[in-house]
Amino acid sequence: MNFFISVTAIPLATVILSLTKLKVEQLRLVVPVMSWLQFGVLTFLSLPALQNNHSFLTFSVDFSIEKIGACFLLLTNFIAAASITHATCFFANEKLVGRGEDPQHEKLYYAACALFVTAMSFVFLSDNLGLLWVSIEATTLFSAALVYFSRDKHSLEATWKYLIICSVGIAFALLGIILIFASSQHGAIAGGSLSLRLLVDHANELQPKLLQFGYIFCLLGFGTKAGVFPLHTWLPDAHSEAPAPASALLSGALLNCALFSICRVTEIIQVSGHSFFATFLPISWGALTALAASFFLIHQVGIKRLWAYSSIENVGIMLVAIGLGSPPLFFFQALNHSLAKVALFLLSGNIIQSAGTKELKQIKGILQVSPSWGITFAAAAAAVTGMPPFGSFVAEWMILSHCGDLVQRIAAGVLLFALALSFIAVSLHVGRILWGKPKHQIAVLPTFSSTLIPLLLCIFSLLAGSTCLPTFFFD
Amino acid sequence: MTVTATEICVLTAALLACLIVGSLHLKVNLWLYAMSTLFIALATAAAALEHSETGLFVIAILIALLKSIAIPKFFSWAIDKLHVYRDLGAIIAPPLAMHAAILLFSLSFILTKEIPSPAGPGNGWFGAAGGISLVFTGLLLMLTRRLAISQIFGFLVIENGIYVFALTQTKGMPLMVEMGILLDVLVGVMVSGLLLFKIQKSFEHIDVGQLTQLKEP
Repeated sequence: MNFFISVTAIPLATVILSLTKLKVEQLRLVVPVMSWLQFGVLTFLSLPALQNNHSFLTFSVDFSIEKIGACFLLLTNFIAAASITHATCFFANEKLVGRGEDPQHEKLYYAACALFVTAMSFVFLSDNLGLLWVSIEATTLFSAALVYFSRDKHSLEATWKYLIICSVGIAFALLGIILIFASSQHGAIAGGSLSLRLLVDHANELQPKLLQFGYIFCLLGFGTKAGVFPLHTWLPDAHSEAPAPASALLSGALLNCALFSICRVTEIIQVSGHSFFATFLPISWGALTALAASFFLIHQVGIKRLWAYSSIENVGIMLVAIGLGSPPLFFFQALNHSLAKVALFLLSGNIIQSAGTKELKQIKGILQVSPSWGITFAAAAAAVTGMPPFGSFVAEWMILSHCGDLVQRIAAGVLLFALALSFIAVSLHVGRILWGKPKHQIAVLPTFSSTLIPLLLCIFSLLAGSTCLPTFFFD
Repeated sequence: MTVTATEICVLTAALLACLIVGSLHLKVNLWLYAMSTLFIALATAAAALEHSETGLFVIAILIALLKSIAIPKFFSWAIDKLHVYRDLGAIIAPPLAMHAAILLFSLSFILTKEIPSPAGPGNGWFGAAGGISLVFTGLLLMLTRRLAISQIFGFLVIENGIYVFALTQTKGMPLMVEMGILLDVLVGVMVSGLLLFKIQKSFEHIDVGQLTQLKEP
């Protein structure tokens, strides 16, 4: 009970505060403080799990966490706090460009955001596959409110697609979970169990046919939510229509949740000895996704759609890491992707406000508008494409060098090609954004506060690549 | 081979769902959905008697109250408010689609033959077939309809199918999980219902076939 109170108290307080008559200006200052407090509380809670390598920290029945889960939990809440802090200046500027007249929408945004982040936290805290599914579905429902923030036709269409495609996809994951539950009732565990820990412990005794079917459905279902090709159609729309801080959350935190669920299920089947399923499927599908996304990157018209496809590419890389059976590798890639991508989405929000358009053709000369934006933007883009001093280079290098047998080597080749292609495509687009003459009147004056969070995230990404931080995850 | 009461109820529910595909009248669809769900509640109650589990009784009552009464009532109200009573249909004509649904109903018996029957007494074959048939029917409904509201019906039918599958293959999920799923479905219905009104207001129709502004270049 204490556990539930400590995890949900601050978000619930945030929801209540945002629905009271508090002024929006006050709310913008209070909510970031609350989200950093929540980050602190969760750090305190999961500290024993971080210090201990292979043991589970049990909170109550159905809720426990181990090291990688704790890392993801903290990453998600860190990203959330950073994005909510940046939202303060984003929403203040939104008023200057003449959008977001209704303060009620912003209050609703903060309330939905708090619930969304809590739902994501429960994905990492659940030991029970059923509750994990409930949390994932809850993230879809709460984040729909974030995507619908601007209340226009485009955002409505994006929200509808997001809600329907993800709900149906996730429904198939439930079918998969039921099959895994059924597989545990054939003598492995009396009465069957949904507990991930028990399932991994008894993986050899699970009914193999049901387990394999269940795994395929889980991959399909959670894959839809992670935006795996060709089930990704909702992702660019939702990421591009949501306001920038929400796009950052969708890309930097939500995709990790879906992939983490795949990782947990993959663990069961890898231990059970049907490793062909659990390595071949994710690796080949991940490589295919990365390849397809890098082709989509070439012809892009919207700045946020560009980053959305880059996220899909990274989902492919992370799926390969999951298939290789190395959760720490998966986390390290996720960490670097989240840090850089969130910085990019937040900066893109600033740029869109200043340029007054999302179209890549219309955005030019950002270095002239604001050197600090331009330099941070270039650094974040370099980090996302895997340039050497940044963490994603180390992570991608490790993933590629981990590939051993023939199938994995072919996948590594495909990945390498996709990485090169996306590097060229992103560099060209970013070059056009940075140099040239600004085409537009500057609607929002660049301030230091609007670069602060993206800059910090870039520095963290740099630290992850150039210090001995990675060794912490790989013990 | 003996057929249990649960299995009879489940198969009736699956056949009733097939009929949904055959009609474009939203209120008829809704009524058929409510009946189909009621049979699923009955199946749950029957399963509760067979396994003498009180948890399943609670679920049966919740399904009857929420899914077969509250949700149809909500959508019936929404249909009146939106003044949309008929779907336009897409890809294949409703009578043909209904025959396809019945074909898929029989196909699901072949597909589920290989699924290992659940541990303990009883045979899970017919139950699994009913569940998979409901999932197929829901997918078919989503494919052959154009209105946003019909897409929600399709999703609800799929959800019913997955529930039936869980009931017959695993003797019900743990109570807490089942409650969580029900809650998610309810909130999902509320959110998508609200969006229906927003779509009607912005676009002056709820035809998903015309929502094509966001596209790849």
